[in-house]
Amino acid sequence: MILSKKEVSIIIEIGFSILFAIFFLPYFFENRLNSIEFTGEMSFLSEVWMKIIQMIVFSIIYYSISYTLLEVIYKEKIIKDERDDMISSKAYRLGFRLYEYSLFVLIGILLSNASIQNSGSIMFFILILLLSVLMIKSIYQLYLYRTS
Amino acid sequence: MILKNILKEIRQKKKLTQEELSFSVGVSRQTIISIENYKYKPSLELAMKLALKLNCKVDKLFYFEESE
Repeated sequence: MILSKKEVSIIIEIGFSILFAIFFLPYFFENRLNSIEFTGEMSFLSEVWMKIIQMIVFSIIYYSISYTLLEVIYKEKIIKDERDDMISSKAYRLGFRLYEYSLFVLIGILLSNASIQNSGSIMFFILILLLSVLMIKSIYQLYLYRTS
Repeated sequence: MILKNILKEIRQKKKLTQEELSFSVGVSRQTIISIENYKYKPSLELAMKLALKLNCKVDKLFYFEESE
């Protein structure tokens, strides 16, 4: 099977998401549990917020660095044309719909489960949601490149 | 009706490679492959660029075929 540069770059993107899931999610899961504990000086809420901010900052830094590296090292040499725009628009449309549907599911989970409303679990759920949608979008994009 | 083309035939007559044709019209080689395999329907702009490059009329390069 011969892969084009674009297909390879999408596989690298999927790889980044898998690495994120392997290395960062277990750490975030621990944080999620720790955030329930109360430690002396800091109030419970401020500690939860610290954990949430930590997760957001880690995720943003990771994805910014990895995608910038991919863009500079690999994608710069790739010619973009109208077929890429068509495939991207289809993939992003799917991603956007998934975000919409999963947002309702997330709100439903939050409303039905009071225990996760005041802990770092909210951010953990959102991260899993974003990661899943990102991976599905990339896999669909790869599928479109192979078939259209 | 299915949109088909004789891009591959004309390209080969003009002794152009997919790489050369794609470079001259500013698209990737994969796009040319997809058009030749009827998988991708190009925009009017790209169709006209291809016709211009291959010195052929657009309606000769692209045509409709009745589906069964």
